[in-house]
Formats: sequence, structure tokens, C-alpha cells
Amino acid sequence: MNVWWTAFIWIALALAASLVSVRLALSVALAEILFGVLGGNVLHIQPNEWINFLAGLGGVLLTFLAGAEIEPEAMRQHWKAALAIGFVSFLVPFLGAMAYVYYVAGWEPNAAKIAGVALSTTSVAVVYAVMIETGMNRTSLGKLILAACFVTDLGTVVALGLLFAEANIWLLVFVIVLAVTLAIAPSLTRWFFRMVSAHTSEPQIKFILLLLLMLGALAVKAKSEAVLSAYLLGLVLAGTMAKNRDFMHRMRTMTFTLLTPFYFLKAGSYISLPALWGAAGLISILLVVKIAAKVVGCYPLCRAYRMPHREATYTTLLMSTGLTFGTISALFGLTHGYITQLQYTVLVTVVIGSALVPTIIAQTFFKPAVEEEVERESAPVMQQQASVAYEDR
Amino acid sequence: MYTRILVGFDGSEGAERALNAGLALAKALEAELHVIMVEEDLPKYAATIGEYDEVKQQRDAYFAQLERQVHLAAQLAEVPVQTHIVTGHEVWSIVDFVKHHQVDLVVIGHQGHSTLHERVFGSTASSIVAHVPCHVLVVK
Repeated sequence: MNVWWTAFIWIALALAASLVSVRLALSVALAEILFGVLGGNVLHIQPNEWINFLAGLGGVLLTFLAGAEIEPEAMRQHWKAALAIGFVSFLVPFLGAMAYVYYVAGWEPNAAKIAGVALSTTSVAVVYAVMIETGMNRTSLGKLILAACFVTDLGTVVALGLLFAEANIWLLVFVIVLAVTLAIAPSLTRWFFRMVSAHTSEPQIKFILLLLLMLGALAVKAKSEAVLSAYLLGLVLAGTMAKNRDFMHRMRTMTFTLLTPFYFLKAGSYISLPALWGAAGLISILLVVKIAAKVVGCYPLCRAYRMPHREATYTTLLMSTGLTFGTISALFGLTHGYITQLQYTVLVTVVIGSALVPTIIAQTFFKPAVEEEVERESAPVMQQQASVAYEDR
Repeated sequence: MYTRILVGFDGSEGAERALNAGLALAKALEAELHVIMVEEDLPKYAATIGEYDEVKQQRDAYFAQLERQVHLAAQLAEVPVQTHIVTGHEVWSIVDFVKHHQVDLVVIGHQGHSTLHERVFGSTASSIVAHVPCHVLVVK
């Protein structure tokens, strides 16, 4: 097919997904996955080499952006509890899902590992949005939960990056270069951003791309995964990025306009609708396994950190959400041949389900009453509870 | 009769009529007037915090403008007003506010959706009427 025609079809799907997401107030990622399903099953679109590259770069940049969104101060304040809850929130679902698909569903060991990684995730963005609505984002419980989510995702990308890596000289080179880059990246980036101001040709974005591509190239050479280095680089640069909001906006615009549509459309195009119906039982069971594993791991810890039952349940359910890293892990498994298209369909559907089901349950039945606390704090509730009589102005 | 009145405001024509009615009632009854504005069309299930935050900033700017509009109208009517911008579902945010602030009258505008739309989705006004534990005035 003519390259322009292929590009036209993919961008048409991306545009339709954008319009639907705006109209329905739905994440553009979710809309693109759904339009990808449509494209794959009805229009029979198939990713080619250049689409794979754009999609891969989109995944890497998305991971970098996700890592760069951490609040270093919140992590410093709650590091002990966040590490404990976040690590358990990764480990128990990872082991639980892996054990279930290996022993009960009869998946191959590598496929089981992918399932474990894909279902261990927590969606920081889903949790964040819920917290803005409840006003919990400014409470210390909210900051703790968000910090724990970052730790969970860190567990996921480390597992994805190391579980399938080959122990050879390139892995050693990758680890050394990664460690050095992470150590010097904050000061190097600050220096570069001071030297080169924002410009139409975007030297700042190119600098970050350079770091990401260098680390990605080494990661692939070591049979590891480029998202690991991207997420870690994002984490160490989070403080610098927080002071360069305009830069982050430009980078996000570029990523969400030109790269991630290919990534999410591709992710959706591999979902097989016929397989979906046949695997509905397994999908439901895995969703229950994921949530149950999060409950087993997180709830007791939350209680140990003196959270009341309602808050502990709410936290546990929010930690059960997943979207971005779950999709990234499943797509990694499919493109590297560790899982079949049927298994991919199952995993991505469970991941999408885990973004919706726990959030709805948490919001409907366990929403903590934090409004009063927020008002007492008289903090800018989302910039929102502006209670000012006009004569005071 | 009414001591605390809440007006739901989203900048629409119906909401402006509701605001005017709320201001007149509050002045006549010497009641405390609150105006709530709900940011409800933020992206659900976002892939990154930034995706959510960027839309949120746009909405914040829009609602800040609405807030100024409310204060200006209140100033002209010589009625003290307290404004509240909250994030969430339009109906449930208003219901929650009423429950937490002992509001005894809610004033809302009628949007005038098509019959088909209201049959399929129901109207915001009818949902609020059904769920708030106080009197509701729907202004057409």
C-alpha cells in the first residue's frame, strides 16, 4: 500500500479517536485503543516498519513523561510507606497472575511472566484523576497513594526490563551507562536548558530524545526494554521537568499528536474480537485475580499504616487500576513473541477492565469523606473551593 | 423560609436565568447564596497525569471566568455570594454539596435538550430533582 495512503488511514483513526475522546471526556489513549480494535478487526490495518518505529518511540516518550510526573517531595515525605505499599502492590499481583496463568491456564513460562508484569501495574493517571475529584490529592493520604503508585510502576518497568534481558556483556554495558546517565542527567539537563533556551527547532526536546534514544539503543542491544531506561530517566529528571512546565507541555503535545496515536492504535489493532468472546471467562477471572492480589497485598499494609477500613479499601482499589504500563507490557510480549495474539487480547482487555472496574467500585462504595478536611485546610482545593464573598474582593 | 440557597451554574442561558432567580430570591429572603460550578468533562482513565492536567488547566481558566461573571452579577444585585468550583459528576457533586452544607433550596436552569436525548440520557435537572434532599426550583 502507498505510504501516504497508510498514513492517511492511521491519522484518520487517530483524529476520530481524538474527537470521540473530547466529546465523551474519555482518555485519548483509551479511545485510540478502541479505534485500533476497529481498525484491526474491520479495516484490517496492519502496522509496518515505520509505524512500528513511531509506535515504539511513542511508548518510550510516554513512559518518560509518566516517570517525570512524580512529585519528588511527596516521595521524600512518604518514602517508607510508599515503598512498602508500592512494592507489595507490584509483587503480589505479579506473582499471583503469573502463578494463575502458568498453573491453571497452562500458559508458557515467558507468557506467564508477561501476564504477571502486565497485571502488576497501577495507573498513576487514573488514580490522580480520581483524587482530584475527591480532593484527596492535597491530603497526606493522597500524596502517599500517588507515591506508592510510582513505586509499583517502577517495579513493573524494572521487571519488564530485566526478566527477559540476556546476561551478556551488553547488559553490563547498558547497566553501567544507564547508572552514569541517571547520575549526571539532572545537572547536565539543567545546564543544557540554561545554555539553550526554547526555540522553534526545539533543541531541548532533541536533547532529551538523544538521551532516550542512546539508552534505548543499548537496552535493545542488551535484549532489555527501552521503557525501563525511559521511566528511570523520567524519574530522575522529574524535579527539573517540574520547573519547566512549558517544555513538558511542548513535549507532551508532540508525543500525543504524532507518536502515541500510532502506539495505542497499534495496541488496539492486535486485539482480536472473535478471540475476545471466546476468552470472556478467562478475562473475568484474571480481572478478579488482579484485584484480589492487590487486596491481599495492599489492604493489610494500609491497615498496618493505620488507615481506617474505608480509606484502606479505597487505596487498595485505586492501586488495582491499570492502563498505560499494562498495555506496554502486553505489547512488548506480543512483539517479542512471548505471548500469542489470543493471550495479548486477554491481557489488554483485563488491563482496560482494571482501569474501569476498581475505579467505579472505589468511587461508588468507598469514597472517603475528605471535603471537610480540605476546607479546614483552606488550601486551594483544586484551585476549586474558592469561597469568597464578593464584598471581600 | 429559605436560609441557604444553592445555584448550579455552568454559563449556559438556562443557568444564567437560574442565577438571576437565585439572586432575586436570596435578596428577598435575606438568605445565604452559594453558587456551584462543576467541572465535569475532564478526561477519564487518562494515560498520563499531564493529559488530565492540561485539560484541567483549560477548564480552570474557563470556570474562573464564569466565577468572575457570577461575582459581577451578585455585585450588581447587591447580594453577597460564595462561589464553589468543584470537579466531578454534575449531579452527584451538587447532591454532595447540598448534603454537606445543609442547603434548603437548589435553583437550576432547564437545558432544553431534545425529547430523544432526555429519554435516553435523562436531563440533569430531573436527576438533581430526584436526588437532592431539599426543595428544587427549575427555572425555564
